[in-house]
Amino acid sequence: MEGLELRKFKRTLTQVLILPIIACLFLAGVLVWQIRGSNLTVGLIDQSDRRIALATNIETRVVDEETGLRGYQTTSDPRFLRPYRDAEAPMQRAVAALQSMARPEQEQSLKQFIEEHQTWHEAFAEPLIATIAAGGQTNDVDLNLTGVERMDSMREHLHAIVKASEQRRTDRIAEWQAQMRHVLILLIVLALSIGLIIGLFTRNRLKGVSTAFRHSLDLQQRRAEELFQSEQHLRTTLASIADGVITCDPGGSVQLMNLVAQELTGWTESQARDRPLHEVFHIVNEATRQPVENPVVKVQRLNRVVGIANHTLLIRKDGSELSIDDSGAPIRNAAGEMTGIVMVFRDITMERRTRAALLANEKLAVAGRLAATIAHEIHNPLDSVANLLYLLQNGATQEESQQFLQIAQSELTRVTQISRAMLSLYRESKAPVPVNLKEMLDELLLLMEGRFHSLGVSVSANLPPEVAIDGFPAELRQVFTNLITNAAEAAGEGGSVAVRVIPRPAGLLSPFAEAQEPGAIVEIADNGPGIPPEVHEHLFQPFFTTKGERGTGLGLWVSQGIIRKHAGNIDIASKTVGPNHGTTVSVFLASKPIINAGGD
Amino acid sequence: MMGNKSRMVLCVDDEAVGLRVRKLLLERAGYQVLTAIDGYSGLELFAAHPVEAVVLDYSMPGMHGGEVASRMRQTKPEIPILLLSAYVGLPDEVSSLVDIYMTKGEGAPALLDKLDSLLSVPAASD
Repeated sequence: MEGLELRKFKRTLTQVLILPIIACLFLAGVLVWQIRGSNLTVGLIDQSDRRIALATNIETRVVDEETGLRGYQTTSDPRFLRPYRDAEAPMQRAVAALQSMARPEQEQSLKQFIEEHQTWHEAFAEPLIATIAAGGQTNDVDLNLTGVERMDSMREHLHAIVKASEQRRTDRIAEWQAQMRHVLILLIVLALSIGLIIGLFTRNRLKGVSTAFRHSLDLQQRRAEELFQSEQHLRTTLASIADGVITCDPGGSVQLMNLVAQELTGWTESQARDRPLHEVFHIVNEATRQPVENPVVKVQRLNRVVGIANHTLLIRKDGSELSIDDSGAPIRNAAGEMTGIVMVFRDITMERRTRAALLANEKLAVAGRLAATIAHEIHNPLDSVANLLYLLQNGATQEESQQFLQIAQSELTRVTQISRAMLSLYRESKAPVPVNLKEMLDELLLLMEGRFHSLGVSVSANLPPEVAIDGFPAELRQVFTNLITNAAEAAGEGGSVAVRVIPRPAGLLSPFAEAQEPGAIVEIADNGPGIPPEVHEHLFQPFFTTKGERGTGLGLWVSQGIIRKHAGNIDIASKTVGPNHGTTVSVFLASKPIINAGGD
Repeated sequence: MMGNKSRMVLCVDDEAVGLRVRKLLLERAGYQVLTAIDGYSGLELFAAHPVEAVVLDYSMPGMHGGEVASRMRQTKPEIPILLLSAYVGLPDEVSSLVDIYMTKGEGAPALLDKLDSLLSVPAASD
């Protein structure tokens, strides 16, 4: 159902307003018409009245005339004739007037009256007057009687006129009254019916409006409901996100913080609101303790999604510290303008500790593996030396003694070398020192001689003597031990491993070094089965191993971490088919690296 | 050391120098010594000759000492085995397979004593 449309509403309003007006005009018209009608009737009544008055007037004049005449007749004094004379003109006038307004049926009477009057006047009155004036006698009864008869007749006619008019008058009044009644009834009926029509019409229209309005309200209600639901949904989602979420306005002042954000920063939402973000979200670099650009500022600057640098510490409100990882993104409105910035961050302290623990564990595991080899490598020669000493003590010829001593000597040398190599493996240095690659690799290869022998692998080395790079010897040893062990195990019985150092002076481009820095590449190649492509992509992932239970899988991941710390790279190339199958691991190390503290 | 009468002893060790020196030592002590550089050849010799005792190294490529010992037990369980190891602490299932377990570096007298005790025990006490 549609809601209230303004246009429709206006139309309804117009209709509802106009109709009564029209109805009223109509009623007024009817009223006017009726009033005119009754006015006419009243006019007619008035006419009748006038006629009556006139007729009466005439009669009065006639009587005046007769009175005058009689007076004269009695007194013979012309002064008594005055009324008779005086009456003439008015009567003429009245007669004329009556004539002009006489009705057809009255005209006859009037005519007769006029005739009678004329006759009375001429045949009776004037002669009488003349007679009297001449001094004659007018007592004649018959004469007077005709006079009286004439007079009576005139009166009769006049009365007839009056009567007729009176009748008409009565009729007209009755008519008028009837008219009035009719008008009243008509008006009442009309008023009622129009009222009813207007009422019904208005009610109908207004009902329509009300329904439409109600639908509008329902719609609004539903929309508000939906909006509320949506907001609740989002609010719940926000509250349920396990990461901290902070939203800011475009100026960088905090607007919203979810619970996790509040916990992590140590600020409550109400405390934090409208403060600039850097007050609430105080981040520094782990190593330098310098403030780090917060994601909101970065978003403002770059106007896109950003992450922050690694090794960021969040300084909480109470001063304690957390390692965090975060990202920021702009919030845009429909027009694409930035209306706010949202930042998501999480505590990675546990994660980092776990990683550090894993690293330490891997070191131990490597140490463990080495320990076995070393025990072997030291105990065997020492055992031989002990046996040889025993033999020397218990009777040996000169020649034998020489021989025994020589063997003992060489065995002891071996032990010394191995133990020195082993001990220096675990001495950590605080700052990078120059490391002669040939020396280090020679030591390692010696250390692993036994292993190679067990595995049946032959090893060749091409190590130019003066190649040195700056680094942490213990860690680099760990890496190369790992890589050489892998190579040896891959090569297997009858296989071979080649270790090579390739110096790289400044200026030479290399496919995998990021910059044209001077340094060296250590290449460890085996002719084993090679690494299949599906394994290749997982190589540097922690816990990925192809050695089943024997490998912890951390080796390459750790090695990569160490090399990255040395601002170098590890690159692995491998072939599984063809006569040149095998794997070559190339490690680039810069001569003067910028040590990437904690680089992983 | 009396009464050895050229007992035949089999030495198995992947360490060439160590094996050679051990052979010298045992021969000087009056034993007849056969040597093998790995488990397989050791088992061959064990089967083919009337070996009276075995001096076995634990950590060897291919088959380690424990496995060699278990195979030897399957064929001639009465032959005493002395397990030599560079490691301290081997799993129980290995040390239970052998008669004596000792580490390298205990010294020549210790080895000779223990070997002698192994070979004396089954016979009537001397």
